[in-house]
Amino acid sequence: MKNRYLVGGPISPLLISELMTLGNDDPGAGAVSVFIGKVRDDKVNEQQVIALQYSAYDAMVEKEAEDIIKTVKSAFSDVRKVLIVHSTGEVSAGEASLFIMVTAGHRDHATRACRHTLEMVKERLPVWKKEIF
Amino acid sequence: MTAAVTVLFFGDAREVTGTEAEDFKAGDTTELRRQILERYPGLGQVSFRLALNRVLLKEDTGLKGNDIIAILPPFEGG
Repeated sequence: MKNRYLVGGPISPLLISELMTLGNDDPGAGAVSVFIGKVRDDKVNEQQVIALQYSAYDAMVEKEAEDIIKTVKSAFSDVRKVLIVHSTGEVSAGEASLFIMVTAGHRDHATRACRHTLEMVKERLPVWKKEIF
Repeated sequence: MTAAVTVLFFGDAREVTGTEAEDFKAGDTTELRRQILERYPGLGQVSFRLALNRVLLKEDTGLKGNDIIAILPPFEGG
């Protein structure tokens, strides 16, 4: 991984399973909510997207992700852990490019905080994409 | 007073200028923006915000030596 929040290429099923073990050391976390964003095979001007090329402002991603995590934890008191991982480089249609995991004591804050984290990632993470046809 | 600063280009701004980073000399972001658009007129077609040392700017501000300014088109993550 390039830093705690960025990984080169797709977020593989193996990495996803490794990331999901990161909450296992906390028996007080009774709820885990996960969002996985994948590249869609959209058609743009009659051309089929086969992959996206992601680029990022690495140093600012780190700062913004840390700030998002801090904000989510202070807004949802039951939240215990927040993970954000985004791809850079090429990710093919059908592969994962974003992983968010929130652990909390109970389901309500886990699910709501996961959605809130996702919206903040879309709004604040300095990441760009370019379609590959 | 002018300051030597580094400008980083991202997303469509990088596509349009064909450059990732370039040095400029300017006293504030108003002057810097003018110089950048003069050197790369194509950027006039790109919507972007500026970040100063990794912090998004809400208004124009003064610059000091070694500041890092980033040209940030709308984010497209997720």
